[in-house]
Amino acid sequence: MARYTPPPQSKLGQIFDVIVLLALTVGALYIPLWLGMAGSAQLHDTVDAPSWESLQQNATMVEQWAKLGFADAEAAAPLITARFDYSFSFFALIAVIVTVLGYYTMMLKLSEKEYRDVIAEKFGEE
Amino acid sequence: MSDITRNTPGIAEASEAAPTQNGGLLRVLGPAHIWALGVGIVLVGEYMGWNFAVGKGGAYAALIACWFAGILYSCVAMIDSEVTSTVAAAGGQYTQAKHIIGPLMAFNVGLYLVFAYTMLEAANAITVGFLVETVAGMTGHEGLNPQPFIVLAIMFLAWLNYRGVLATLTFNLVITAFAFTAILILFLATSPLFGESPLKHAELMTGLPYGWLGVLAAMHFGLWFYLGIEGTCQAAEEVRSPSRSLPFGTLAGVMTLAIAATLTWYLCVGLMPWEYLGQSGAPLFDAARMSGSTALTVLLGIGTLFATLASANGCINDASRAWFAMGRDHYLPSWFGAVHPVYRTPYRSIIFLVPIALIFALGAPLDQVITFSILSGLLEYTFMPLNVIMFRRKWPLDTIKRGYEHPFHPVPAIVLLCLCGITFFAVFLGYGTQLVAMIAFYIVVSLWFHFRRYRFVQRAAQFTMPWPKPQGY
Amino acid sequence: MQIWDLAEYAAWALSALLGIYIVTDWLKTDSRYSEEELTSSREGQLEAITEQHEL
Repeated sequence: MARYTPPPQSKLGQIFDVIVLLALTVGALYIPLWLGMAGSAQLHDTVDAPSWESLQQNATMVEQWAKLGFADAEAAAPLITARFDYSFSFFALIAVIVTVLGYYTMMLKLSEKEYRDVIAEKFGEE
Repeated sequence: MSDITRNTPGIAEASEAAPTQNGGLLRVLGPAHIWALGVGIVLVGEYMGWNFAVGKGGAYAALIACWFAGILYSCVAMIDSEVTSTVAAAGGQYTQAKHIIGPLMAFNVGLYLVFAYTMLEAANAITVGFLVETVAGMTGHEGLNPQPFIVLAIMFLAWLNYRGVLATLTFNLVITAFAFTAILILFLATSPLFGESPLKHAELMTGLPYGWLGVLAAMHFGLWFYLGIEGTCQAAEEVRSPSRSLPFGTLAGVMTLAIAATLTWYLCVGLMPWEYLGQSGAPLFDAARMSGSTALTVLLGIGTLFATLASANGCINDASRAWFAMGRDHYLPSWFGAVHPVYRTPYRSIIFLVPIALIFALGAPLDQVITFSILSGLLEYTFMPLNVIMFRRKWPLDTIKRGYEHPFHPVPAIVLLCLCGITFFAVFLGYGTQLVAMIAFYIVVSLWFHFRRYRFVQRAAQFTMPWPKPQGY
Repeated sequence: MQIWDLAEYAAWALSALLGIYIVTDWLKTDSRYSEEELTSSREGQLEAITEQHEL
């Protein structure tokens, strides 16, 4: 098989490639942030006039809360009542599974194609 | 020297046989440095971040997640040790993928590595700033600007890395050992072994607040107990005897972390109500404060600082090695493939990654940065079982010599794949949008690589290991 | 407290110093050595000397 000789890349081309990569990276992190879709939803049960009893804290827990700087139930209530929302739609789950599997399949397929070239050139075609 | 002769299996040219190290990285590290690199990156996870697993599913869920993540990482360490003891080159998993799966996979793995480590470095720098702010607050100074300390941490460690790998990792060894000892001391001091213990497990432990779904969700941050241990492979080109040191350092590292993680869990849940622990910024530091001893508080404060520095330091080391290796192969502009003639470090890669770490450390929220890092790590762990299965298929055990052979193949690979699936689901429960955004990013980048960037890459020259032809080709 | 304000300035100054050191050394190195010399590192070069893969 003929040896493949890559074209030399100009300085400008090198810089351009780095900028493309950087733009994509920053985009991947910040776009979900800008769209406000990032982060995990937390729900708060608002309890009126919370007391240690209504928050189901026993005497030892109350003691430890005090050591942490939470003198009364009112101060600790937002922490204690915070709960994550784990509800999800099956449609979203399927979409994620398809994306992940699709990504790995695509990558393995294209890699295999490139890999065969490499091996053929390196060890010579039989 | 042409690439063909160099790549002929089993034949070393005269110029290569001479023990010169022209223009390359320096082989100076021992197994202790590998341990320090691996554990150093991760140990910060015991000082901050792991406790979000408690918030996700309660105290017991965090312990279950800790041990299942421990199994996941034992598989990672075994698989990695086998492949790396054979493929000893800077770039670690990137070079493995290049030889075993193919160029596009290698490019993706290289990016996973750089992003996982650079984001972790940014998270560490943010924590350093937060710590200095807290200490200033404790001495009565409000409104400290943490930015100069974030910048200083990154600049100092970049400078250290720039100046040479031996000093960098020796520094890491010292501060990592200190941070690990601090956890042991805190455990012994609060345990019932010596007089009255402040631990109150019986009263503080509750059931699972979210049921078993919470246990699954906790896996997301369960990874944080160990994330980064696989970075030991990046030092492969600088270690004196990779086929022995790498498996030893990596496996010893996982054991160290499993112990540290369990001790940390035990003493933290015995001191704090889970609702607080699940949202704490520095749980071990809080635990020390609650023990009531000033000495312990100072010790764990310093331990937290050292752990974050050790982690950021290891991250700069690893990310720059991966970036350098990709530059050397022209996957990225070849300009990055340069080695400093005096310090023998990939200096241009180190410099280039500094502003990127700064952008994220100064501009992005901590949990986003951490999630970006965890997701890149998770994609990498999913690649590993595919990698080792193909490795064993293309080069069965009797075709090349391996420094370490992992037992029970393919059981670890299958276990690892299943645990990765569970963790993907856990990430989906909280951060589904980021997961999709990340994968969309990698798909776009992959297409860009396949159709544009790959034309600058030499074909056969990428395959540098003196191995026979793979089976089935 | 005065000391924390000073610490902030000191941190900025030290960061700048380290930054300047790295950049000057980088530019000096790039101008003193040829590009071929700097990028002469090759993967697997040392591998061939230290590791034996033959069974």
